[in-house]
Amino acid sequence: MWNALGSFFADLVSGNNPLWLYYPLCLVVGLVYKATKFDTPKKIVLAALHFFVSVTAGMLFLGLILYLISELL
Amino acid sequence: MTAPAPNNRSPIAALILGWILPGAGHAYAGRWGKAVLFFLAITGLLVAGLVLADGTNILPRRLWYAAQVCAGGPAVALTPVSQYVASRGPIDWADPTHEMGTLYTAVAGFLNLLVMMDAYTRLAYPHRPEEADEDKKEAA
Repeated sequence: MWNALGSFFADLVSGNNPLWLYYPLCLVVGLVYKATKFDTPKKIVLAALHFFVSVTAGMLFLGLILYLISELL
Repeated sequence: MTAPAPNNRSPIAALILGWILPGAGHAYAGRWGKAVLFFLAITGLLVAGLVLADGTNILPRRLWYAAQVCAGGPAVALTPVSQYVASRGPIDWADPTHEMGTLYTAVAGFLNLLVMMDAYTRLAYPHRPEEADEDKKEAA
């Protein structure tokens, strides 16, 4: 299990993984979405960062679960 | 439900302008800062997606085009460019970077739909409740 966990995070941080492209995409989505909700720049940026962190954490958690299922079962 | 305010700016015009050029609906509504932000974000995402896929992913014969064309004028303008580049050689559809590029362009289209709707509702319902207002009420 620890090997599977290790290779999961090693895959995530490897330079040639196209999943790196997910981060700017998520940031832009958060920025545009929150700009339709709020009016002040500070509020927009803070809300977009919150959106980015929570969506990324959720995706990482789901990815980890699916990866462990595929590796261990 | 709030009633439309007496305003000589048409929400439909904001909707159509927002499709022609991302952010133009907000510029029409007098929100220039947001207009610039939306234009840069949506057009940037569209162009970045096209570059990631080597210019071969905005093609009308694919279902993705239904989402991509929502990004409006820039997507329509880039369509013949993409068609020309795609006609010059084989396309590796399974390449993950190509797929991410296609996703970028489709998300740009969906985001522009959201922005168009926002421009429309800002003019049609100028007194709509904002999340920011809700926050202020909670803080008070």
